[in-house]
Amino acid sequence: MENNVSFVWGPVQISASILTTWGIMGVMSLVAWLSTRHLAMLPKGLQTLAEGIVSVIDDAVSAVAPEQSREIMPFIATLWLFLIVANLVGLIPELHSPTSDLSVTSALAVIVFVSVHWFGIKTLGIKNYLHHYLTPSPILLPFHIISEFTRTIALAIRLFGNMMSLEMAAMLILLVAGFLAPIPILMLHIIEALVQAYIFGMLALIYLAGAMQSQQLNSQE
Amino acid sequence: MEFNVSTFVLEIINFLVLLWVLQRLFYKPLLKVIADRKQVIEQALAEAKNQQQQAEEKAALYENRQHQWEQEKQLALQTFQQQIDLERKLQLEKLKLELEQERQKAKVTLSLQQQEFQQRVEKQALENGAKFSALLLQQAVGPELELRLFQLLLDKISTFPEVIKQQLIVTGEMDALPQVKVTSAYPLTAEMHQQLEQKLMTLMNRPADVQYHQSEDLIAGLRLDIGAWVLNANLNHELIGFAELDYVSK
Repeated sequence: MENNVSFVWGPVQISASILTTWGIMGVMSLVAWLSTRHLAMLPKGLQTLAEGIVSVIDDAVSAVAPEQSREIMPFIATLWLFLIVANLVGLIPELHSPTSDLSVTSALAVIVFVSVHWFGIKTLGIKNYLHHYLTPSPILLPFHIISEFTRTIALAIRLFGNMMSLEMAAMLILLVAGFLAPIPILMLHIIEALVQAYIFGMLALIYLAGAMQSQQLNSQE
Repeated sequence: MEFNVSTFVLEIINFLVLLWVLQRLFYKPLLKVIADRKQVIEQALAEAKNQQQQAEEKAALYENRQHQWEQEKQLALQTFQQQIDLERKLQLEKLKLELEQERQKAKVTLSLQQQEFQQRVEKQALENGAKFSALLLQQAVGPELELRLFQLLLDKISTFPEVIKQQLIVTGEMDALPQVKVTSAYPLTAEMHQQLEQKLMTLMNRPADVQYHQSEDLIAGLRLDIGAWVLNANLNHELIGFAELDYVSK
């Protein structure tokens, strides 16, 4: 995929992915504001939809990390919502999914990587948190460190590879086949976008929960 | 597939900004309203549970009370039944006693009635007997019987007890000339008058004003009226005495 720099502002290069991300952020913020503008005890319309989404995500997070769900739910929910919208935005003509840009998926993976350590240290304390790298044996420390980096890279590459390949496949089929041929591919795009968002968010949730609950697991052992 | 540092850094900033915005505008208010609703629902559920518990307690209390009422009712019914039985027994005994008394009273009354009837029949029989005797004697009497009854009277006067004689003397002294009424069934002869007056003077120690009357009712014989004293020596009086003798004896 070519480097799609729209304009340059000093040392900062503003790419199409960033512009699309800003658009997504604007739309999501607007929808969030509209849905929570007039909250009522008896929800209706947009509030019902918004409460449904938040409740589903909250339940999913609570199922994995019941004690820390309130703390990490906003982060995981933002990841899920952003990835769903970002993955699906590629269906709109003339727009590309930001997640088909390796810089974007890398940024998200790094955010997850940093968040894992941040929430782990915040919950357990730095000593306890670092101690879990030495369990069950200090010999495994290098493997723990390698694991931390490889899973972050895997997060970034998996999402980027799937989304980029989907867009490329759709474009190739559109070029080779006729007008209506890409429709099944577009449907596959929708499913794949949702699945990839779910996988990314769920893996991030599992990493976070693992980091925050490692001390508990060690003490139980 | 190029890596752009600006895009990488801006994307991190974008995500953090989006996270902050959504936290403020989306998650917090929605979670708060969901929590508030949950709290309201939990309060309502707790209240409903409390009310249900109270209702169950009240129901249990009412059931217990109803059970107690049932027991009290049964007890009261038993007591009432016992009282009724006792009262019935008492009333029956009282009724039996009253019936016995009434029976005794009726028996006594019947006995009295029978006795009275028997007396009346006996009296009637005696009266009838006296009437028949009177009829028979009226046909059978004559001067001989009259004479003999006259002699009987004279003998009776002679055999008066002393107490009666003294009283007759006292009665005769109250009048200057004592009145003596002599009633006979047949006319008396002068000799008989003389014998009688002689006898009376001897009895009362002084002469008496003797008046003679005749009455067939006497059948035969005489009757002397001396003041309040009446001396009978006739068949009629004897028959009446015969009829009344039975009652006097009873």
